[in-house]
Amino acid sequence: MTIHNLYMFDRHGVLMYYGEWNRKRQSGMTIEEEAKLMYGMLYSIKNFVNKMSPVDVREGFQCYRTSKYALNYFETPSGVKFVMNTDLHSQGVRELLQQINSQIYIEYCVKNPAYKSGETIQCELFKTKLDELVKQSPIFKS
Amino acid sequence: MADDALFDFLHMEIVSHVTKSDAGLLQDGDEAMSKLEQIGYSTGYRFIERLTKDLSRFKDELEVMKAICKDFWSAVFKKQVDNLRTNHQGVYVLQDNKFRFLASISNSRQYLELAPKYLVFTCGLLRGALASLGLTCIVTAEVTTMPACKFQVHLQRA
Repeated sequence: MTIHNLYMFDRHGVLMYYGEWNRKRQSGMTIEEEAKLMYGMLYSIKNFVNKMSPVDVREGFQCYRTSKYALNYFETPSGVKFVMNTDLHSQGVRELLQQINSQIYIEYCVKNPAYKSGETIQCELFKTKLDELVKQSPIFKS
Repeated sequence: MADDALFDFLHMEIVSHVTKSDAGLLQDGDEAMSKLEQIGYSTGYRFIERLTKDLSRFKDELEVMKAICKDFWSAVFKKQVDNLRTNHQGVYVLQDNKFRFLASISNSRQYLELAPKYLVFTCGLLRGALASLGLTCIVTAEVTTMPACKFQVHLQRA
């Protein structure tokens, strides 16, 4: 089980944070271009999934899988989007993303008077705590 | 608990509101600091009445300071003061290693210049509480590494 990287977007599509732990292949674009591409894709796929669903819509889009990696998606009611790429054997990624939201983002960004919404996260404490949480999780294998 | 978060957010907003409205008037926001301290003073003055309604009269100053470190601090910050020092001549130093309002800001020297604003309210809170218990004093605070901070209380003798 491995965690490759993590993107965080706010509700306007601004990339708040990007962290990587185990990325073996670069995409050849700058991080801003990658983020825009990612956000555009998420927006389209969420709409598509909701429109074309043959049954009642519950949670909507949660993850996609290729033969090599899985992209896991979690969105809070306030529009903060967490996107985490992991390998195919990872379990419990959704819970991890929920923990990142409640224990790290809320504690060290929302409650931090030095953080202004709409900007990338500069706070060292957030980065340290996020790193700790990810590395402690059973999904992470360095 | 939801109430704890409410106090944190309210405190953040008070600091931001008071410092913002003074931005045009004063260079370093002294007026903002004394407003914040005054808000803390009135709050502390009344809060301690409620807190000590069941306790007996205190024997001496040291008892008062110890009660502040334990009961008062637990009621407001959900923990006790980590270290209390005194020179037995009216100067007390209260040290808190994980101060509630600083714990979410930083773990190191980042954002150090923002720290004083978030301590002023508590200085006033302490001054008000002690005043209500009959001890006039001056309270100052300092931060070396977040989230630890020290509050210095100078008691004024009659």
